[in-house]
Amino acid sequence: MQYPEPIAKLIDSYMKLPGIGSKTATRLAFYTLDMDEEDVNGFAKSLMSTKKDLTTCSICGNITEQDPCEICRDKTRDQSQVLVVEQVKDIMVMERMRDFHGLYHVLNGVLSPIEGKGPEDINIASLLKRLQVNKEIHEVIVATNATPEGEATAMYIARLVKPAGIKVTRLAHGLSVGSDIEYADEMTLSKAVQGRTEI
Amino acid sequence: MYLRDMSLRHFRNYESVDMTFKNGINILLGKNAQGKTSLLEAIYVLALARSHRTSSDRDLINWDATAAQVLGCVQKQSTSVPLELDLGKTGKRAKVNHLEQAKLSQYIGQLNVILFAPEDLSLVKGSPQVRRRFIDMEFGQMNSRYLYNLSQYRTILKQRNRYLKELRNHKQSDLVLLDVLSDQLAAFGAEIIFERLKLLKELEHWAAAVHKEISQGKERLTFKYVNPLEPEQLASTDSIYEGLKALFEQKREKELFQRTTLFGPHRDDLQFFVNDKNVSTFGSQGQQRTAALSVKLAEINLMKEETGEYPVLLLDDVLSELDDSRQTHLLTAIQDKVQTFLTTTSLSGVARQLIHDPKVFHIENGKLLE
Ligand SMILES: Nc1ncnc2c1ncn2[C@@H]1O[C@H](COP(=O)(O)OP(=O)(O)O)[C@@H](O)[C@H]1O
Ligand SMILES: [Mg+2]
Ligand SMILES: [Zn+2]
Repeated sequence: MQYPEPIAKLIDSYMKLPGIGSKTATRLAFYTLDMDEEDVNGFAKSLMSTKKDLTTCSICGNITEQDPCEICRDKTRDQSQVLVVEQVKDIMVMERMRDFHGLYHVLNGVLSPIEGKGPEDINIASLLKRLQVNKEIHEVIVATNATPEGEATAMYIARLVKPAGIKVTRLAHGLSVGSDIEYADEMTLSKAVQGRTEI
Repeated sequence: MYLRDMSLRHFRNYESVDMTFKNGINILLGKNAQGKTSLLEAIYVLALARSHRTSSDRDLINWDATAAQVLGCVQKQSTSVPLELDLGKTGKRAKVNHLEQAKLSQYIGQLNVILFAPEDLSLVKGSPQVRRRFIDMEFGQMNSRYLYNLSQYRTILKQRNRYLKELRNHKQSDLVLLDVLSDQLAAFGAEIIFERLKLLKELEHWAAAVHKEISQGKERLTFKYVNPLEPEQLASTDSIYEGLKALFEQKREKELFQRTTLFGPHRDDLQFFVNDKNVSTFGSQGQQRTAALSVKLAEINLMKEETGEYPVLLLDDVLSELDDSRQTHLLTAIQDKVQTFLTTTSLSGVARQLIHDPKVFHIENGKLLE
């Protein structure tokens, strides 16, 4: 026996999500069948609305309901600093910290030839253009991950931006707050020592 | 250090075994294809979280099972450390003291092993790959920094090789990124080469002493690290880094043409000399074997010096490959000092006379016979 078409289609849709195979998708589909109509409607609306109501900010690459995004429109933010992140998610993390009041730029990936990502495949050109047009920006803070690809991306950006006389900085790597030196692995410790600051 | 006990679940042809070992010589005795090498392999896997004879963890799991487990307790000078390695179809989990380790580089180094198999007798004569693998496995165990640098280096090397291909195929054209990748590769490559030179110097010191003794004072063993840099460029990590960067710069066209990275630790080699003659070309088979044996025995001392503990020695079918005098030398060097596991199909000759009070395990078809 085959599943009725609506269920089969729903299973197929769930399978398009990352990390979900046919078994999980089937379980989710049957769970959906048992849900309240109201919840299902809400769910469907949210799904539609992410596509319909959200766009990418034409300045920084953040996701937003209105272009430019809230952060780019906010003139009280420090217009002289741009923090460069790999993904939109990273902006949320930084904003939760509440300590950074400058602007952002989302690369949407890192340089990784193995994954077919060269300089033209991530938002580097738009960053360079932004720096050319907007003379207020004096510092670019590169906050890519501490992976070989994240480091390569940071070095690449530095090479292109520094000649324009703009300061390029990198987030410090080191011990996590509240953690004991005793339990840090050797490489973290070594990075922490290299990036030590004067007090 | 020594391995106090070990349990296997669904590992190779073992369904379930629990063993307690002697801090001395343990003999794994059995006919061919019964599971002797698999037992040594389990100890190796417990130490290094990977096998010496397959790159696929799937091969380690019993054909009738979906997951395997290796557990063991390592006794060190003042503490004992339980280790656990779980191998599943999708990956492995490594635990030290029952705590899962996020990075394998934090797991490796708890139990240090040196494996000596008949193939190792071709260390001198074999391909450069064999020697680089040997260097990386041994130094990686002694030094977690070396292991870290090596894994970063390998990732960047893959990226750089791919990028060279894409430049050559005109899929990419930005040379700034090539420069960045060269810079990164040179930085990690310099760390690796510098550490290799330092450890090889110490290894050479120990190996020369052993070789001299086996050859009754007649032969002097020396090493040469083969690398395109000038000797004075090898003086510091900075100068190695500059040297590699200059090579990448000068040979860009050649690398683009060949679509691959032509310089760096992944291309270097180690050569052995006896009385200033290259053993791989001018040495007799006996000299080559003596050199290989000397290097293996030297590792024991180097590891003791670097980590403060003697490693565990795994000898897979090597006794039968060595003549009486070399067997005698090997056994006297390790007896009463290093916990040893040796596999053999029969115990006779020198080994029977020399090894006092071994613990013998009779192995048949994935089971231990008492
Ligand atoms: N994953 C596995 N599951 C079950 N049996 C295996 C597996 N891998 C290898 N074997 C079998 O285990 C046996 C033992 O091999 P091995 O340890 O190399 O023997 P020995 O060293 O005693 O000659 C071989 O017969 C081999 O076919
Ligand atoms: Mg065998
Ligand atoms: Zn924006």
